[in-house]
Amino acid sequence: MKRTIMATIMIAVAVAGGFAQEKVTLNVMNYQQADQSGYAEDVAIWEKFQKDNPAITLNIEILFNDPYHQKLQAYAAAGTLPDVFYVWPGARSAVIHEKKLAKDLNQLLGASYLKDFSAAATNPANQLGRYMAMLPQSYTYTSVMYVNTKLLADNGFKPPKTYADLKKMVPKLKAKGIAVAMLPNKDAWPMQSCLFSTVVGRMAGDAFIDSILAGKAKFTDKPFVASLQVIADLYKDGIFSREDVQVGYGEAAGMFASGKAAIYIDGDWRVGAYITDKASGKALIAPAAQDKDFALMPFVSIPGEKNPGVLSAVAGTGWAVSGSLATGSAKEKAAVKLIQYLYSPEVQAIRFGTGAFVPTRKGVKAAVEPLVAKVPLFYAENAKTSYVVDGVLDPAVYNVINDGLIAIGLGTKTPAVVAAETQKAFESWTASRK
Amino acid sequence: MGEELRTTLVDRLGAIAAKAVAYTLMILFTVMTLYPIFWLVMNSFKSTKEFQVSQLSMPVEPTLSNYVEAWKMGDFALLFPNSILYTVGATLGIVLVSLLAGFAFAKIGSRATKPIYNSFVIGILITAQSLMIPLFLEVNLLGIYNTRIAVLLVYIGTGLPLGVYLATEYIRSIPNALIESARIDGAGFFRIFWKIVLPMAMPVAVTLSILNISNIWNEFALINILVSRTELKSLPLGIYKFSGSLSTDYGKQFAALTIGMIPMLLFYIIFRRQITKGVAAGAVKG
Repeated sequence: MKRTIMATIMIAVAVAGGFAQEKVTLNVMNYQQADQSGYAEDVAIWEKFQKDNPAITLNIEILFNDPYHQKLQAYAAAGTLPDVFYVWPGARSAVIHEKKLAKDLNQLLGASYLKDFSAAATNPANQLGRYMAMLPQSYTYTSVMYVNTKLLADNGFKPPKTYADLKKMVPKLKAKGIAVAMLPNKDAWPMQSCLFSTVVGRMAGDAFIDSILAGKAKFTDKPFVASLQVIADLYKDGIFSREDVQVGYGEAAGMFASGKAAIYIDGDWRVGAYITDKASGKALIAPAAQDKDFALMPFVSIPGEKNPGVLSAVAGTGWAVSGSLATGSAKEKAAVKLIQYLYSPEVQAIRFGTGAFVPTRKGVKAAVEPLVAKVPLFYAENAKTSYVVDGVLDPAVYNVINDGLIAIGLGTKTPAVVAAETQKAFESWTASRK
Repeated sequence: MGEELRTTLVDRLGAIAAKAVAYTLMILFTVMTLYPIFWLVMNSFKSTKEFQVSQLSMPVEPTLSNYVEAWKMGDFALLFPNSILYTVGATLGIVLVSLLAGFAFAKIGSRATKPIYNSFVIGILITAQSLMIPLFLEVNLLGIYNTRIAVLLVYIGTGLPLGVYLATEYIRSIPNALIESARIDGAGFFRIFWKIVLPMAMPVAVTLSILNISNIWNEFALINILVSRTELKSLPLGIYKFSGSLSTDYGKQFAALTIGMIPMLLFYIIFRRQITKGVAAGAVKG
């Protein structure tokens, strides 16, 4: 009898518990590309959450690149943003930050949760709206030199440390049809984001950019023109080939892996392109070679630089919660649960393992391939960072710089002309805001 | 006699030279059109590594796995029927409404004809991009966001400006006497449309179908805004998942693009005679 009563009570408690757990549907916008490394892992991450949380139904919309941003813009205009969505900390997701359409994660997640993340990730000053609209999953170095140390050693060279070291390599490597360094710039942004920002950081510094934004300095001033001159010299001295201006961003990683260049310049995220794709089991650079034959290095020292060793870096992408969710509602609680899962050590370890990024969550460990393992070491050895040009300037201005860098690469414009055009674009943009 | 022979020879040589130039140009254009398709299909059977090593040679170890993976990852089994429904449904809608409106504008005059006709035709100048956010707001207001009917209505609406313009201009060339004698015999406008105008306007109907089938099959920008659920999306949205600037798996990307291209190629191969005839007939009215 006693047993029967106990069993009845237990069943009643279980049933009541089941009813108490309110069913919630969350609309989510995920940024996902099917043929990129890490796709299978991303699918599994979402499936696991769904399986572990039957009371929360995820309605996931998947988009990528411009269509993602167009759709987000449309949702924002209509006031129908998804409950959880993927955002950039800067101008790419300007509407979210400027109109404060996302909840302040500082308040939503709380200090005790956020203490497990790096200070750069939780600093609201690193986001356009100066509040924590999203939590950056990574702090990205946009400028890394991927060095094929074996190829250099086979040709009698050591990994370069100075501009002169690069220059020395030109005759021998060029004679063999190998480029000293490669930076594909057909897409216009890579040169600005992956090298020029670092050069500006070294030659001019963030304070100079701040002065320009405050109207106290000009793009035509010496530090900026000298930065453009460094890029012009890289082409003129044969370190970069002018043909790279016609190489698409997607093509270059494979070209570097197949030994067509000794050095490849890109962001730290590009390690993901070289490691083993879980779905196909294939890698552009085999793990053993990643370990022995390739190194991640900072760009070489430049003659006349004021800030040696500085590299451009920016807060990475992350997740946001719609500001329209009622405070304390079941939906808000479900969104927080999802966010906490997406930033959990477990999920961040998977992301780290795919080479997507090095997490801002502290102490995340993962079995990663050698090239990915080199990224946190690279961060530790290169702590000094500077602005990424397209993270601080308006598109109306940085697009002129991007086009100017292409013209410099092709040899059709001088640094002085590009600097003058940039200043003109900046003045027009400033005037349009008054 | 000698002079005549020389003239004939010169004429013949001239004709041969002209033919040679014409054939060379035609072969050149054929190669320029077909080679990219051949290149795409050829590389879709290569692994990414093989593609990166050699982009111009035939596949050494051809693989079908790119197609299997792309089909699965792109949810093409769900998207294919949707694409067919949207393309066929919207094309039929555009052709029918355009012909009906064209008949009214061309043959049933009233004071309102010109302003209404102009309000349709001005739509030719409006780009899909400028309509995206207003359309999104509209379908939300109507409560039809994330439905097939919203996609069909928007496709029919955006196809009408060109459709109405072509149909009106074509139907204008049908002799008024035919319509008038039918009216004298007691036929109503609908009867005249079905029995006289529609059969005579078939060439423009074919032209409109051809234009819209390829446009709607490949349309991306509007459907991206109109639906979010995978089961309502069309093929171009699935294919786009494979074509970002950071892509690393070219094999799957090329397989996805080939899958999207095959139906249009088949459409052309099956209906090539009608297409050629339709374009030619619809292009010259009357």
